[in-house]
Amino acid sequence: MNVSVIGAATTKFGELWGVSPRTLAREATEGALADAGITKKHVQALFVANMLAGPLGNQQHLGPFFAEELSLNVPAFTIEGACASGGLAVHAAVASIRSGQYDTVVVLGVEKMTDHKPEDVATALMAAGSDEERLSGATFPGLYAMLARAHMEQFGTTGEELAAVAVKNHFHANLNEKAQFHTLLTIDQVMKSSKIADPLTLLECSPISDGASAVILSSKKKNVEIIASEVATDTLGVAQRKSLTQLAATQEAAKRAYQKAGVEPKDVDVVEVHDCFTIAEILAMEDLGFFKKGKAAAAIAIGETTLGKTKRFVVNPSGGLKGCGHPVGATGIKQIVEIVQQLRGVVGKRQVTGAKIGLAHNVGGSGATAVVHILKI
Amino acid sequence: MISPVKIWRNQKKVASLVGKTGKIVAFTLIRVPPADFSNQAPYPVAVIALDDGDKVIAQLVDWNESSLKTGQKVQTVIRKIFETGDGVIPYGIKVKPV
Amino acid sequence: MIGIVSYGTYIPRYRVKLSDIALAWNKNPEEIVGSLGIAEKSVPSIDEDAVTIAIEAARSALAASALSPESIEGLFVGSESHPYAVNPTSTIVGELLGIGNNYLAADLEFACKAGTAGMQAVAGLIEAKHIQYGLAIGTDTAQSKPHDALEYTSASAGVAYILGSNHLIANLLAYTSYSSDTPDFWRRDGIRYPSHAGRFTGEPAYFAHVVGASKLLMEKAKIQPSDVSYCVFHMPNGKFPREVAKRLGFMKEQLAPSLTVDAIGNPYSASSMLGLAAVLDIAKPGQKIFIVSYGSGAGSDAFLWETTKEILKRKPMVQEQIDDKTYIDYVQYLKQTHKL
Repeated sequence: MNVSVIGAATTKFGELWGVSPRTLAREATEGALADAGITKKHVQALFVANMLAGPLGNQQHLGPFFAEELSLNVPAFTIEGACASGGLAVHAAVASIRSGQYDTVVVLGVEKMTDHKPEDVATALMAAGSDEERLSGATFPGLYAMLARAHMEQFGTTGEELAAVAVKNHFHANLNEKAQFHTLLTIDQVMKSSKIADPLTLLECSPISDGASAVILSSKKKNVEIIASEVATDTLGVAQRKSLTQLAATQEAAKRAYQKAGVEPKDVDVVEVHDCFTIAEILAMEDLGFFKKGKAAAAIAIGETTLGKTKRFVVNPSGGLKGCGHPVGATGIKQIVEIVQQLRGVVGKRQVTGAKIGLAHNVGGSGATAVVHILKI
Repeated sequence: MISPVKIWRNQKKVASLVGKTGKIVAFTLIRVPPADFSNQAPYPVAVIALDDGDKVIAQLVDWNESSLKTGQKVQTVIRKIFETGDGVIPYGIKVKPV
Repeated sequence: MIGIVSYGTYIPRYRVKLSDIALAWNKNPEEIVGSLGIAEKSVPSIDEDAVTIAIEAARSALAASALSPESIEGLFVGSESHPYAVNPTSTIVGELLGIGNNYLAADLEFACKAGTAGMQAVAGLIEAKHIQYGLAIGTDTAQSKPHDALEYTSASAGVAYILGSNHLIANLLAYTSYSSDTPDFWRRDGIRYPSHAGRFTGEPAYFAHVVGASKLLMEKAKIQPSDVSYCVFHMPNGKFPREVAKRLGFMKEQLAPSLTVDAIGNPYSASSMLGLAAVLDIAKPGQKIFIVSYGSGAGSDAFLWETTKEILKRKPMVQEQIDDKTYIDYVQYLKQTHKL
């Protein structure tokens, strides 16, 4: 049975002071329903992706919360997997349709992070890591900084190459009216921005953002198809991983996804990866099989995945997490929205011409969860 | 505040990890700390491969620039994890260069 | 016979120079250093406290003995900087040392003699054959108010003695104690920094009790200063122990090896216990050591030890820990001692 994305919409991502989670959810969901050309009565279930409403807002049980807000009186679920919540919610929704339980569902990712001080948000985000990591005083920038250092020591990846990822993603974000940032960056600016956790600097870290994205999945109408939806799990903490220079969960989910889709990395035209930090995009490019281990950084730095420069494929045309913003629960769904719109050819200035096959890669924590979706038009 | 019950349950683990030697596998210097660690920053955090095969992640103490390198030998010690106002004090494992 | 099975010391590595403190308060550094006889003092790391320091000293003492942690049946920790007003330091230390559940644990407080009071209590329990091995620890991260006189000397260290009745490196030949109600130095509950009565802390306090206890011990053990190889006295500054040794009739050479105050200041409950450890580090078999502590409030615990052949097996540690240091400035000192 084929599962298609029949509707897709996203709100602007950013510091949206005056906008509440309810408003964000309505905007994204109603946008997706309009895009799908269906009404609420066709919707049979609601999947909500969110991480921080509980820790920061004391609100959980988001299924009925948003079902009520959206006047969708249907079975409703919250899926949480840290920053992979969105991808996981899409995966759960796909499985629910393939099982025959539902034929048309809404998958909504929403996150409101800017109501709280950055230190409090950083602490709340560490719920995605292990207890040992929290007691060590680690932060997510710190955990990824260690992966960056390991990668630099093993493969000679440079600070400039890391910075190039942020420069590229801001270049793309600048073309995306929904993105949080529209500023162009230089390598120098990125490298000279204040250090957060050596060697990562402020401009190498994705921001704290508000936003919501929604997709409507259905087996009843044909549109952009989800031809693979795979999830893999690894140890919660980085210390227990087999290697610090790869995310095994990404490799495993990707392998199964390519196999089920009957697709190879070279067939993919457009990709949205989980660049929570610059090093994460470099790791993703290697773990998803686009470049050999140790070779991605140099390739990204010379524009091999940049819109307008590449001869192959474009990565993070939305601006990625760094340029477009990272409202945690919404990101995985925004990635699907971007791929769908790219494959349909409706994104204007940031269009990847002739894109037929797209891949979305969503990671939870420092790599404990990885979700890979492959879509085809 | 960490629950006193959780601190109590973790005592054996802390007691079993003290006085072990190992090496730094990867490290970073945290300059923007989580709220509970605000008075300690900047501080290094490292993944340590203990000589007995276990791996841990811990804060580095009594360090200087030259001890921040992959391969640096370290030993586990017991220190206060953070201040807790009027809560039970969490003691836990940190590592110091040897 | 009861005595010391092994000992362990821990001195935090940070040092602040008294001259830096003096300059911060526009005082004459030479005058301060000259009058106290101390140039620098030890400072704990921001994440060290009396508990963590006690554990370091105790682990060292256990490692120097052939004992398993479970053989310890008594654990007394003396400090004036116990992290809790109510909740024992001794059981946190005991749990993290892995000594099991079959032990008497108690926290002691008596200004700078809380640790030696613990030694006498443990000695009594062993003499009564109530326990075989006991651990007595003196540990402090001494607090003092910025700009107060005490700021120049209040330091940090921990010393642990395992006492028992066999495999001894030093026998306890005699011990006694001299106590009175003398309010020379105190801290009210809930008040952050201690207060002191100025010059009253001298003659009627330190000297009266140290001399008082010394005379009681000399009478009890029927000895004179010339009968012992070494003497150790509580060291609130560089001058008092030298003065009291002279008054009692001891020679400079007998006192010299114990004067850890010159290098690291006054670590309160660990002070005289550290001086004793410094002497044990260099002592030969068959040498007598005369040690008297002092705690404000006030009291002095006196002990006469005699080293055995086993002393030659001990690994010295105090000088190495004194020398293993990192200097910090006054601002960093204030941060590490939680004043900023």
